[in-house]
Parts: sequence; structure tokens; C-alpha cells
Amino acid sequence: MVLFCLGLEGTAHSFGAGVVTDEGKVLSNEWDMLKPEQGGIHPREASRHHSDLGPKIILTAIEKAGINFSDINLIAFSRGPGLGPCLRTTATMARTLALKLDVPLVDVNHCVAHIEIGCLESEFNDPVTVYVSGGNSQVIAFAGGRFRTFGETLDIAIGNMLDVLGRELGMGFPAGPIIEKLANEGSNFHNLPYSVKGMDLSYSGMLTAAKKLFSEGVPIPDICFSVQETAFGMLAEIAERAIAHTKKQELLLTGGVARNNRLTEILKGVSERHSTKFHRVSPSLAGDQGAMIAWNGILQFKAGHTIGISNSHVLPKWRTDEQDILWRA
Amino acid sequence: MEEIIARGAESIILKTERWNRIFVLKWRQSKPYLFRDIDSQLRKTRTSRECKMLSVARALGVSTPAVYAVDLDDYTILMDYIEGSQFKQIANSLPKNQLKKFCSEFGTSIALLHQGDVVHGDPTTSNVIIDSKSKLWLVDFGLSEMNATVEMKGVDLHLIHRALETTHWDLQECMLEATIKGYSDTIGEEAKDALARMEEIRERGRYH
Repeated sequence: MVLFCLGLEGTAHSFGAGVVTDEGKVLSNEWDMLKPEQGGIHPREASRHHSDLGPKIILTAIEKAGINFSDINLIAFSRGPGLGPCLRTTATMARTLALKLDVPLVDVNHCVAHIEIGCLESEFNDPVTVYVSGGNSQVIAFAGGRFRTFGETLDIAIGNMLDVLGRELGMGFPAGPIIEKLANEGSNFHNLPYSVKGMDLSYSGMLTAAKKLFSEGVPIPDICFSVQETAFGMLAEIAERAIAHTKKQELLLTGGVARNNRLTEILKGVSERHSTKFHRVSPSLAGDQGAMIAWNGILQFKAGHTIGISNSHVLPKWRTDEQDILWRA
Repeated sequence: MEEIIARGAESIILKTERWNRIFVLKWRQSKPYLFRDIDSQLRKTRTSRECKMLSVARALGVSTPAVYAVDLDDYTILMDYIEGSQFKQIANSLPKNQLKKFCSEFGTSIALLHQGDVVHGDPTTSNVIIDSKSKLWLVDFGLSEMNATVEMKGVDLHLIHRALETTHWDLQECMLEATIKGYSDTIGEEAKDALARMEEIRERGRYH
């Protein structure tokens, strides 16, 4: 019998619902991203966005999957890490559904789900994963029963850095795609702080220096070009360090910033240097969405892991390496 | 005669013979995927920095390979070949007290650097060599820096912590404790600032 899992994702500015089978078929994957008129993401507004749109998104996901609520065998939800109010809103929907439908509930780690959906799509077994988004810049690999963070940002995430810079340069949210487009028109490279510390990196100094270039009248395309080359170069270096260190044979790029073509090209270059396979997760599975939560839910459920409602409080600071990865043991 | 003994993230380590002696040639190759200005600048600054810092570290009492030649056009450094193993490779097979002893010596070496306001920049167990006489050497000073602040020392210690938790997860508590003890015993009271900063930096990470 085929299992149907409904996965709910709501860790930050996006709410998503997806239906995935235990054969790894993504039957539906619906989401909506809060786009504030100005400024960044306010946790309370994002959680309101989730509670306003969530029910409709869930309904659409069920419809598009061509099933009924009664067909669902399992509810999975993003338990963390993320913004507290968003996590709680999402968890409340998941608990309600699990009780109403009388099916097991599975708590999923958002970062782990990004890796596993990437492995499903790429058919990779054991990659070094570069996970880059608005809130995360991590290089992760499986070792000793857990996904361990070999390197990460010591201050702000790459997506966050791009958004803040974009705001400074007068761009809307999200700024990443606009910066990528303008970078193609840039030609003069300006030196920016390149800050790699071991396998960690830091973007705050680069951001400050880039803002300064703007105040000095450097053309915006040149700033975008210089920022991309520097920021992605740093990421490539820590990814390369992780590959050299772990000797793994696959490199996976995922998260919202995986949509960037220049970053993809650079990481492809890294994989060529080390003769590893490379895969960029396709846009519909790279950002925050419910299908990854549903798929991870299935993996966990099959390894015998579910959670009782009373224990299912959210974990806003849930680290990637805090979970025993039973299904890979 | 040249033989590749290691292929790192940013360099190739060759074993080579010159003047009837065995040396290591560290070669920072070009990375075609990087923008050319960044690529050449990184290769140049790290090669020259490594040469300098290997000597600075030795003057502070840390065993490092001596440099014999440097080529800033080819981005190569010719240095002592240390016959031994990476600490990373042998940590698991060492008896507990031996492991603790090496960790403590590792901590002491880092402390000696920090006392001289120098940070290593990439203090992992891959960059610690234990030779056939059980002597401990630090290598790979490409990310090393002088005039280190408490923040920089805190980052150095944070990187040790991170390296132990990702690479030696089953031994991490014991290894971290022994390393920190070696560090504190060498520096004394003043170690507190850098150690407190290490904790702070860890907390600064998004999910602690």
C-alpha cells in the first residue's frame, strides 16, 4: 500500500504544503511567500500570513495531489529551526490535522529536510551539501549518524546579506535575483573583504564595505558583480574544504539562493576540481516548501519515528546536528 | 622525483627531492572558477603569509616546518618534510592518555601563538602532524594572522571546537577538555577572555 504524507513547512516567510508518497513521488507542492512592502520579515506578520493563507494552501495541495483528506496516512511539520511565531502557527495546523484525521504526526528538522529532498531528486547517497538561503549558509555532511555542520556563517546568512544590501541599493524583496541580473552588467571589480576562517565564513564586513562603495558612487552593477564574486568565492572555498576534508564524492546545492546561476557555475567548478558529482536542486524543491517536509516525514516514519502531540512543542533553535538520523543508520 | 602526498582544498602537497634531501613543495594552484583577481590575490597573499607565519610561529616556540624557498610567480613554498601522520588520522587509534597528551600539546601550541598575538586561522586536527618521535608540529599557516585581538583568538578556539565536533564526534568531549586544559595551563588567567569569547561566538551562531 502506498503511503501519503502531507508535509507542512512554515519556518520563516514562506508557508508551504506538499503531498509526497513513500515511493518518493511529489504529488503536489504549494506555497506562498510573504513579500513585505518595505523592510524585512517581521515574525508576527509572517505567522499571520501563515494562519491566513495556510488552510487554503493545504486544501489546494490536497486537491492537486488528486487525493482526499481521508487518504492521508501521515502529517509531517517543520518543527524548527525558525521563527517562533511561524513555527507555532504551522505546528498548530499540523497537530489539528493529525488529531482530526487520526494519523501519526512526525516532527521534521527543516535543514535536514532540505538535504533529503535534494538527495531524492539527485539520487545522491552521501553528499557534501551547500545549503544557502535567507537564514542559512551552511556546509553540511553526514558523519557518525548525524548531519554535521562543517562550516557556516559566523554572522549573517548569504540571502540575508543580499537582501540587506539590496534594500540599501533601493531594490525590493527578495533582492537576490535583482542583484544576480545586475551583476551580469557589471565589469569593474572592486576589492571587498574576503573572510574565510577555517571552514567558517563571515559576510558582515563585506556588506559594510559594499554599502560604502555605494556611498562613494560606484555604479550598482559593479557593486553587485563584486559582491557576488566575493561572496560566492568564499562559499566555494569552504565547500571545497569540506570536500577535501570528508573525501565525499557528491556536491549538492540547495536552499533559496541555489537559484543563482553564478553560484551554481562556481560550485560546479569546485566539483570539477575534485571530480565529484554535482547537483543543483531544482527551484521548486530548493526553496522552503512542504514537499521536503513530507518526504523527510516519510523517511522518519519508516525508521519508526513519530511524535506525540503533547511533546511536539516547536524548536526554534534546533541545530542540524542535534538529530539522530535513524533512517541513514 | 615528485610524489603527491596530499590534495587539499587550496593546494597540492608534493614530496620532492632537492640537494639530496626530501622536501615538501606546497603548490597553490589556480582555481578557474574564481574571478581571476580574487584567485591571484588569494594565492599570492596566502603563499607569502604562510612563509612569514611559519617563521613567526617558530619564534614563538611552536614547531613548524622551515621554509627554504618561495616562488610568488608559481605560488609554491619549499619546506621541511615532516615524517609522520596527521593527528586526524591517528586520533581514533590512540590510547586515551596518549590522545589527551597530544590534545594538551595542541592546546599549548595554540596558546603559544595566542600569547604572541598570532592566530593560526585553521586549527584543525588535519593541520597537526605527529612525527615518528611523537613530536607535534603545526602546519598550514595560510590563514594565520598577526596582531590578533581577543575576537580573533576566540574564533581560533571556536574553530578547534567545531573541528572536534565534526571530525572526532565520538571523542570530542575528552579531546576538547584536554586541548583547553593545555591552552589554559600555558596562558594562565588571561586564557579566560579568549575562552569566554569562544563560547560567545558559538552562541552567536544561529541555532545555539
